[in-house]
Amino acid sequence: MPIRIDEKNLKKGVLGLVVALVEIITELLEKQAILRIENESLNDEEIERLGEALADLNEALETIKTDNNIEDTVESVRCGLDEVVDDVVDKLMNPSRWAKEVEKHDRNRPCEIPLLDS
Amino acid sequence: MTETDHARYLYLIANTGEEKSLGDIGLGDRSVYTIVFQDIAAVVHASKSEPVPAKSEEQAEQWILNHNYVIDKATENFNTVLPFSFGCLARGDDEAIKRWLQKNYILYKRELERLKNSAEYSIQIFYDPEVLEKQVLKTIPELKEIDQKMKTMPKGKAYIFKKKFELGLKQAVSDHLASMGKEFDKLIKENAIQTIVEEKISYVPEKYAGKKVMVAFSCLVAKDNVERLGQSLETINKKEGLAVRFTGPWAPFNFVDLGNIENDA
Repeated sequence: MPIRIDEKNLKKGVLGLVVALVEIITELLEKQAILRIENESLNDEEIERLGEALADLNEALETIKTDNNIEDTVESVRCGLDEVVDDVVDKLMNPSRWAKEVEKHDRNRPCEIPLLDS
Repeated sequence: MTETDHARYLYLIANTGEEKSLGDIGLGDRSVYTIVFQDIAAVVHASKSEPVPAKSEEQAEQWILNHNYVIDKATENFNTVLPFSFGCLARGDDEAIKRWLQKNYILYKRELERLKNSAEYSIQIFYDPEVLEKQVLKTIPELKEIDQKMKTMPKGKAYIFKKKFELGLKQAVSDHLASMGKEFDKLIKENAIQTIVEEKISYVPEKYAGKKVMVAFSCLVAKDNVERLGQSLETINKKEGLAVRFTGPWAPFNFVDLGNIENDA
């Protein structure tokens, strides 16, 4: 599945891709922060500092998106990445279903039926 | 039909022994007719042997709609059909098609009999994320507690706890959806001969804008069971925050199993 980037505006597309990737990394950092809080490995001061840094980063990303009008591009890149990841995970988790689907797809393609033997 | 029409564009195979013209309803207004072998028939139009590419995306779209229109009309006429995908061209004349039907007769007849008195239906179940979030939130006191506490926290801590709240809510909604999905899946399977979960939905009507897809099925349903299935779906449709789109009957595109024709023939 190709990632859809606005081809008419490469700059916008590349910036959208970068912001989407930074957003994903930020979300991973946020999850890590939550885990650490739940494990009680951060004190109140550290939580506050980390939270502020993440909030600032989030705000900066939102500003970049608004200023450059790339909200839709970022959304589109993230949807594309989600689909790629879903597809890969599904194939890894269900190899037999994947094989069956490929087989069924090939079998039911009427254009491939060798009916023209006359 | 002209002298250069050395091929037949295939729409479907029908459960009929009747030689019949369906009129000039084919792609490019070509005349569509049946080529019969015993009690089955191929529904075709005569065509040149080289495929003609569409001149534009609009024309391709129009042709696909036209292809499906012929299948709908043929289904009205012959009840049970084995539809072909768009763009299936067979090189040869009517006699060649007849020989091909003869060669695969047992296979096609068996499949036509299996699909007799049934049709394909499409079911899409949508949910309103906001309504579901509210419902879920009521059932999880931990999330409500985080929501309350956030109001008195300093900025940094509140930000992280907001994310924790959002992730927890997302997970809870996802669990709730999975549980409802299983329940609905059971309900639908009770009234269908076969079901296929559709991974992607290409078209969502405006009516469902703002809602998200919970699950989508293609179902092969016996005619006698359609009403009961409709009633089951109506009970889902009445639940707050949910909406069901039930469409059909369609030709059984997703349920025709022609197996390996070369081996069977």
